[in-house]
Amino acid sequence: MQVKVLSEHYDKPEFQGLEGYKKLGGYVELEKAFKMDPKQIIEDVKAAGLRGRGGAGFPTGVKWGFLPDNGEPRYLLCNADEGEPGTFKDRMMMERAPHQLIEGMIISSFAIGSKKSYIYVRGEYDESIRILTKALDEAYKAGMLGKNILGSGFDHDMDIYVGAGAYICGEETAMISSLEGYKGQPKLKPPFPAIEGYLGKPTIVNNVESLAAVKYIIRDGVEGYRKHGTEKSAGTKLFSVSGNVVKPGNYEIPLGMPMKTLINDLCGGMKPGRQLKAVIPGGSSTPILTAEEAMKVNMDYESMAEFGTFLGSGAVIVIDDSNCMVDLLGVLMHFYHHESCGQCTPCREGTGWLNKLVASIYKGEAKMTDLELINGISNHMMGKTICALSDAAAMPALSFLKKFREEFEFYIREGKSKVKGSSYAQMHH
Amino acid sequence: MSYVVKQPDQLSKWYLPGILKGLGYTFKNMIKNIFGLKKMPTLNYPEEKYKYGPRFKGSHILTVKKDGSLRCTACMLCATNCPAQCISITASEHDDPEVEKYPIKYEIDVLRCVYCGFCEEACPVDAVRMGPEWQTPGLGDANFTYDIQKLAYRANLKGGIQSSLDDKERHEAGI
Amino acid sequence: MPKCTINGQEVEVKEGATIIEAFKKMSEDIAHYCWHPGLSVAGVCRLCMVDVEGARGPQIACNTVVREGMVITNQSEQIKDIVRWGMDFHLINHPLDCPICDQAGECGLQEQYMKFGKYDPEMGLQKVKKRKVVDLGERVVLDSERCILCSRCVRFTDEVSKTNELGIFNRGDRSEIGTYKDKPLNNKYSLNTVDICPVGALTSKDFRFRQRVWYLKNADTICNGCSTGCSVKTYYNEEGLFRVKPNHNEDVNGYWMCDEGRDLYKFANKESRLLKAKKFDGSTWEEVSAGSAVKSLSHQLLETIKETPSKVAVVYTGQFTNQEYADSLKSFDGLGVNNFYHWMNNQASKDEFDGLLIRGDKNPNTKGLQNEASKFSGLKKLENLFNELESGNIETVFVMAPENISAYPEYESHFKALSKAKNFIWMGANQTSCYESTNSSNTYLIPLKSYVEKSGTFTNHNGTDQNFNYVTTLVAGALTLSEAMTLFEGQDLDFEIRPKIYKTMKNNHFTSDRGEL
Repeated sequence: MQVKVLSEHYDKPEFQGLEGYKKLGGYVELEKAFKMDPKQIIEDVKAAGLRGRGGAGFPTGVKWGFLPDNGEPRYLLCNADEGEPGTFKDRMMMERAPHQLIEGMIISSFAIGSKKSYIYVRGEYDESIRILTKALDEAYKAGMLGKNILGSGFDHDMDIYVGAGAYICGEETAMISSLEGYKGQPKLKPPFPAIEGYLGKPTIVNNVESLAAVKYIIRDGVEGYRKHGTEKSAGTKLFSVSGNVVKPGNYEIPLGMPMKTLINDLCGGMKPGRQLKAVIPGGSSTPILTAEEAMKVNMDYESMAEFGTFLGSGAVIVIDDSNCMVDLLGVLMHFYHHESCGQCTPCREGTGWLNKLVASIYKGEAKMTDLELINGISNHMMGKTICALSDAAAMPALSFLKKFREEFEFYIREGKSKVKGSSYAQMHH
Repeated sequence: MSYVVKQPDQLSKWYLPGILKGLGYTFKNMIKNIFGLKKMPTLNYPEEKYKYGPRFKGSHILTVKKDGSLRCTACMLCATNCPAQCISITASEHDDPEVEKYPIKYEIDVLRCVYCGFCEEACPVDAVRMGPEWQTPGLGDANFTYDIQKLAYRANLKGGIQSSLDDKERHEAGI
Repeated sequence: MPKCTINGQEVEVKEGATIIEAFKKMSEDIAHYCWHPGLSVAGVCRLCMVDVEGARGPQIACNTVVREGMVITNQSEQIKDIVRWGMDFHLINHPLDCPICDQAGECGLQEQYMKFGKYDPEMGLQKVKKRKVVDLGERVVLDSERCILCSRCVRFTDEVSKTNELGIFNRGDRSEIGTYKDKPLNNKYSLNTVDICPVGALTSKDFRFRQRVWYLKNADTICNGCSTGCSVKTYYNEEGLFRVKPNHNEDVNGYWMCDEGRDLYKFANKESRLLKAKKFDGSTWEEVSAGSAVKSLSHQLLETIKETPSKVAVVYTGQFTNQEYADSLKSFDGLGVNNFYHWMNNQASKDEFDGLLIRGDKNPNTKGLQNEASKFSGLKKLENLFNELESGNIETVFVMAPENISAYPEYESHFKALSKAKNFIWMGANQTSCYESTNSSNTYLIPLKSYVEKSGTFTNHNGTDQNFNYVTTLVAGALTLSEAMTLFEGQDLDFEIRPKIYKTMKNNHFTSDRGEL
């Protein structure tokens, strides 16, 4: 069943405002944190096993530990550019509990010794921006931000930066470029942002959910946080379930819960008369799972890896048997072609090529050998570029072809979809 | 080295038999040709002319596009490939960016040309061909350096030969 | 100084050097487009992949620093496969219009495809259409379809010329190089972008469609456009010079040169040259060969000069080689002449410097002239000569005229002013219309060789002596200053037969293969 830690008060409208937030236990952990040694906070976050909730799942505390001890100013960036198709957990947090994020960020900034932080919000999130701006004003007025916060001697400023809606700006170095005022394109690594990031200074980029979770690590302590989840995937996580289930939405569950429980029990199962066909477990860029695999996998990092896929951003896209996989891949390839920044050749040309190849299938112009070509292109896009967008485009293409090849072959052979009434191809014409 | 000179025999000393023998041969063939004109192996050149096969490499032709302009893109591969170095081309910028480059001068010095056909083979766009014409005489003041006008639009070509390769079609096909 | 092993051979590189630099040091083949030694690392073409032992996967050589004991190879089947595909990714939207592309023959795509290509193109779909023949500025034309977006040109304008005109617009495979509407690519170094463009996307308006590059030979020389003295490569054939490109010279010009210097081949070409010597006796002009003109000059004036050397003035410009200065100064000094004047074209701006390469002194060898003249009686200011001419103290004037006359706006007026001398000898490379209006009834115009037609030494602004060699002959009869002075002294030219020519001559295959015919 759901374990509501982050989303405990989502349903209470007053949680949005500072007053209500404080009443429901807000900014208590901030005071508690100020009494702690910043290094201890980093150690606690490491010990709690908090892994980045944005997609890559890199341990947050370890990331913080990379900061060089050279006395340079440091920056904390909150990655609220939630662009992964299928993900909407961060938006809900920013709209329902903005102070939870702000508090988490102040604690994290205190831990890493940053005097300035930015929330990089996706441009399309109008409502989130409005609510966050209001919350930030309240926090400044109440002395939670600015000079000498709560008499602790810690100064911190926070700003909101609105992106222009590019998917690539969710990649941390692209976000830094965008924030610096350049075109949002990933930067070469090394140097990593923790060494040379925003304006050439050490910078930490964390997801909204990761930063908010820091507050609860302080509240519950390492042991308390580790109460939920598994050894390697500690704590709870928000999952955005979308697609053909009865009750789509955001669900907070402890990591390690079977996907079967999430889909069948929490989300009310498939729509009447429909069969589960496939699940994309962690946002559109993660390899797809067949219905059979989906019923076996657990919602944690290790189990996902076992099935050759990733937990990603936690966007569970449930697909039933009324969907044509060729159409779906077409949608995805169109998306990645549109969103590739165009810097690295394999991605720039590969995404376009894949998009054209998949489109040629539903235009009836494809040959059987094109399937091998799609495999070849995808394999040579994987891991060959600066950032992971190229992999993000290649992985679904590879997994769709591997697991639903027969559907692709049918489309090429017959010139029509195996699934009756599939509409995307007609729409595309 | 020794050799033997054969002395003419007695009969050969009388010249007439030999002459008559030769005339007889001529007369026999004359009768044969009069009654069997079609089998005659020679031509009455220049009234009659031999027709060569389509692969004959004769006078050069510059092909044209559908709109009648030159197909040549002035890539100079023919000139590069020419063993006789008889082709000279001057390229220029075309107004249409799709065409981009075209020749403002294309000259073949046919007196230097060895009619090897390498230009035809080098051409990537079927712009230069070796045509069937082979009679290109001229008087002392004739110009044997053929220019674009002569190569592409001479009377024999009846307004120009169309190239098999069309850029517009190629662009539309996306190649 | 870390050591690493590259394809089985050990090499020691500088601290902080990248793997690709180690490859270059070893002269090992490695595919790359975006990396350029004079620019920052972009790491976008993804072709310079190498296997590093112990690393997680293939690494790009341009952004991986060599560490002690690294074992690196790009010969593994996996890497070769990656590079083949990487090359294919570059080519799928490339129009392959090599026949009309100026870069063909020196194109990075062509060269590297032959070495690393996949050879079985699988792209059978519509290519992306982009802008063609885009006017980027005064000197550069862009073809977006040919562009492989390596971003070298963008980085050049950001980092070297620091003018930031170029940028990559749009995203994904719709990306295009471009300029802002009101800011065309008009900086003084814009043609370097054409040089570093690995494909035919950026082409030079000046060179565009004039020659296929395989018809051109090239030779190294020194630019004579200003006192920086950049190392350059000149491209020429029997018709003349066609273009000038920079040579890498870390001490002088790095990888770059200015646009102005690239135009300097024009004055050396036949069209703007003085082809024959000309004699004017007050009423008619006579055209003779340079040698015989100098000979007759010698007959006419040598004795007079020896008798009254103080009535002779020699005007020098900073456009000749040290050897020519030394020879001519020596022979004039031997005749007793010691009136040497320096015609400095841009006195006011001669010390200017734009911070990169361009200097205000538009002569390649002012320093050399000053050095050589100081060994004799030194140089006087040209203004003094005008007064001397007015007063009649000087009767004979020798002018060693500049060849780069675009840097001499006063060329014509000085010609007229100096031709007031009774005997007027103008030695120069250029043909201009002002020669007709000479004031002297004993005028000699002697054609000299331009900088590509002779060997010698230029001393640049900071005193570095730079030797350069003969490139080609453009005007057959022209002389060097040294040769002219030898003839003037009444001696014959000692022709040095260039052994180089015999070395480069190939055997005739027909005779050598078949023996005696």
